[in-house]
Amino acid sequence: MKLSKDGWGGLAVLAASLLLFGLTLGLKPSPLVPIGPGFYPRIVLGITAILAAALIAFDLAGRKKPPSAEKPAYGAVVLHFAVFGVYVAALPWLGFRIATFAYVAATNALLDVPRAPRGWLRVALLALATTLATYFVFERYLLVLLPRGRWTDF
Amino acid sequence: MYELLGAALANLMQVKYLLPLALGTLAGVAGGALPGVTITMTIIVVLPFTFGLDPLQGLAAMTGVYVGGSAGGLVTATLLGLPGTPSAIATTFDGHPMAKKGEPGRALWLGIWASFFGGLLGGVFLIGATGPLAAFALQFGPWEFFSLFVLALSMVAGLAEASLLKGLLSGCLGLIVTVLGTDPVMGQDRLTLGIPFVRGGIDFLPVLIGVFAFSQIMGEIERRGAETRVAAAADRVVHLAVSHAKVLWEILSRPFQLAWYAFIGVLIGVLPAIGGSAASMMAYDQAKKLSRHPQRFGTGTPEGIIASESSNNANVGGSLVTIMAFGIPGDAVTAVMLGALTIHGIQSGPLFISQNAQLAYGIFAAYLVAHVLMVLIMALGARWMLRIVTVPRAALFPVVLVLCTIGAYALSNTMTNVYVLLAFGVLGYAMVKGGFPLAPFILGVILGDQIEVNLIRSVMTDADPWLFLTRPISGGLLAASVASMAFAIWQHRRARGKASPAEPEF
Repeated sequence: MKLSKDGWGGLAVLAASLLLFGLTLGLKPSPLVPIGPGFYPRIVLGITAILAAALIAFDLAGRKKPPSAEKPAYGAVVLHFAVFGVYVAALPWLGFRIATFAYVAATNALLDVPRAPRGWLRVALLALATTLATYFVFERYLLVLLPRGRWTDF
Repeated sequence: MYELLGAALANLMQVKYLLPLALGTLAGVAGGALPGVTITMTIIVVLPFTFGLDPLQGLAAMTGVYVGGSAGGLVTATLLGLPGTPSAIATTFDGHPMAKKGEPGRALWLGIWASFFGGLLGGVFLIGATGPLAAFALQFGPWEFFSLFVLALSMVAGLAEASLLKGLLSGCLGLIVTVLGTDPVMGQDRLTLGIPFVRGGIDFLPVLIGVFAFSQIMGEIERRGAETRVAAAADRVVHLAVSHAKVLWEILSRPFQLAWYAFIGVLIGVLPAIGGSAASMMAYDQAKKLSRHPQRFGTGTPEGIIASESSNNANVGGSLVTIMAFGIPGDAVTAVMLGALTIHGIQSGPLFISQNAQLAYGIFAAYLVAHVLMVLIMALGARWMLRIVTVPRAALFPVVLVLCTIGAYALSNTMTNVYVLLAFGVLGYAMVKGGFPLAPFILGVILGDQIEVNLIRSVMTDADPWLFLTRPISGGLLAASVASMAFAIWQHRRARGKASPAEPEF
């Protein structure tokens, strides 16, 4: 018996809900609230586990859909998540302006690869314009403080 | 009521309110016109700009986005045959054939004026029904609120297109997010998993932004190649000159149909998370059934455009009723509006309209004025809206994600919410790829705390669990919840039964 995407999804949810359900058993009851902090999470996690088990069962019993002929560019998706992850990690160290400039430039260059010096100029201008516009609008006009870099103090 | 509305309209005419409303409406129309950018995405981008504004300025801007976005999709739907938003899909069926027959101006303006009148009819419902519904909700105790939230969640889960089971699971996953962090009654740590930023609980706004923004952008990155076709189509010259009197007569000479389509839109809007696309499709279907010439549908008949667009904009009024009377977001757009209220320390729910009458009527006024602004923006810029589709995604996506990051960061001026944004961005994309609907998940995240608090309150007031069933309103709501699930099961079975003969045998 082979699991499809639904079955694997159900299995992941089942494992997570059972793990969390186990953790609720260690929660101490409160003297002021008769039902304690674990009462509601146990109901939610219990229902989730039952539904996930049902999804797995239906998947095992049901007919599998044929795989789609489309070939999505998952590599590009992973790459863009990774670049955004690096941006998020860099924000507290490099600060908003440097990290945002680098992120916008990198993402724009990855989505539309520059093939000539003019293309690189477009990348740099977009990154600079985005960084400056967001910085001035949010910090100066809307008074929203943006992250400062621990390394750069900028 | 009319005095308050008049005062709110006069107040809104100040530049400090009119400007954000106009900019919001413009952003909405532009976002709506851009295929691949939804109203949700537009409002997420606008959200951080509202942080520094007062509540009415921010909510006026968001109302503008909602109204403008609901109409903006029709520009590319009629002129290019590419619906800018899912709610404009039904407009494409007749709008584009009419434009191809040499009447692009008529097709476009039928849509714009139908949106305008449909929206105004939705506004009548919004203004007239919010107060009485909120007053009705004031009779609710914790049992009724618990049952109401359960009903909302079960309806959304049941309406998920993929599968009822996945819809329910998705809602449960949303509820699980709210049990991580602290217990809302005693503030005791629970299920923090040793992650420091989970200790304070998880804000729903970065979850919502992450889930919707990443699932949409990464979904676009996955598929490539459509951009060139859109850009090439937008380069064509179109003549949009039209007799407005004739177009207005075409719409207003069908008052009962117009009212019926608007009613469908409002009804779908009141039900949580169904959205404008279902409203416009249902209205289109009704228009075809009621028509003396159903065979003309799909060839460029005005009824098709009027039905789709009037229902679509009336839907906005219905969605706003749900959030203003009950505090339940009807869709992702109103969920962001709910978040904006929370940021400003305003509690949504049945007391909202009585405790914040000025703000509530300000939203009503903004809704009405946004429709006028939408028509003006379309009149001045419909031709330019076509150029918007040529904006390269390579430039748009990083800018949108930077704005999402600012939106998440500015909620508490800490990196915590940015980490949440990324984590839920990955989860949202994975859920979409796995066929799990996002709407029940988001509603679960929004309502989870309230469901728990009301459950505990009711048990602490009276430990008898039968009260959930024996109190008439609570029992009725739970019965409706069961009925909605039964209906969903029946609907899914029927759909499967119809689909099965066409499925290939393996």
